[in-house]
Amino acid sequence: MSAPAAPGPEVPEGGPPALWDPIVRLTHWGIAAAVLLNATVTAESDTLHLWIGYVAGALLVLRLVWGLVGPPEARFGAFPPSPRRALAHLADLLGGRPKAYPSHNPAGALMVYALWATLAVLVLTGIALAPDGPGGTADRNAAFGRGEWSVVLEGGARLGERDEEMVEDVHETAANLLLILAALHVAGVVVESRGMRRNLLRPMLLGARGRAR
Amino acid sequence: MRPAILAGVVVIQALAAAFFLGDVAADLAVGARDAHSLIEAGVTLALALGIVFGAVELARTIQALRSQEAALRAAAGALGEVITEAFRDWRLTPAEADVALFALKGLDVADIAGLRGAAAGTVRAQLASIYAKAGVSGRAQFAALFVEDLLALLPAAAPPAS
Repeated sequence: MSAPAAPGPEVPEGGPPALWDPIVRLTHWGIAAAVLLNATVTAESDTLHLWIGYVAGALLVLRLVWGLVGPPEARFGAFPPSPRRALAHLADLLGGRPKAYPSHNPAGALMVYALWATLAVLVLTGIALAPDGPGGTADRNAAFGRGEWSVVLEGGARLGERDEEMVEDVHETAANLLLILAALHVAGVVVESRGMRRNLLRPMLLGARGRAR
Repeated sequence: MRPAILAGVVVIQALAAAFFLGDVAADLAVGARDAHSLIEAGVTLALALGIVFGAVELARTIQALRSQEAALRAAAGALGEVITEAFRDWRLTPAEADVALFALKGLDVADIAGLRGAAAGTVRAQLASIYAKAGVSGRAQFAALFVEDLLALLPAAAPPAS
């Protein structure tokens, strides 16, 4: 005879959560959208480009705060960066017997930190390139549009020309690196999902039953 | 549901903070130190603090909901044990125990017969035997035995009197 089944499928034992908490999900998709928009749609020096950059920065800071105060699996302590363990995990994966981890797996954790670091560089260099912020840049663009061309000399870049070029290079390199990392990240999710026979995308969306909790 | 709403509010606050930051940065960058920009900077700071506290509160809510769920699962498991123990006390046969469990879950005779691949008459006879062994007059009383346990909040306590 069997006892009544426990209600609903819950966090699989030892595995990553069946559903990431809402902050993790909102910041994840918010940043993904912001990065894609700024990489493809908005032009640099566009006010919108700057605003989206600020949004990405805000979401990143929120996620980092969440890494300190959030639920256990969202905290930094749950997925420490360890190249050695990441390699061990990749070896397990190739061997066909990947272990389950309660948060990001070690390889995924490295990717998370790489993405965050690159995004932080991107946001900081972006702010350095437009120190007036979106508001100031918008004002200046408007003044320029009215024919007050002197604003170009006054506001905006407070960096020397050489420095500005260098920061610009870093910004562009970081942007390209971020896109490459994001592509690797997506590939990693696909490979891990196959290797672990567990859909890793669903917990980042709405969970097993398409039901937000 | 509530954590999702709370999280949405926290995210909106974070975006609002970014908006203010973008605005304040413009003022402070050009060296404006007038009351307006300083107040704006203060508001931004307060908003940032609010976000941190909101995040802490949200994390607590999520944890509380999870422990409630865990408690509920434990209670369901405990009820399962109580039921199993009671069935053993009443010396139900394995087939009767199956039928009894289906009956507790609210399935009617036809459903149970379908699930077990048995004739409705067989199931009816098994139910009669179960009620007799449990010392109850019918299905309502039978289910009430366990509801009583639940209401008394004594999940793993004494087996129901027979």
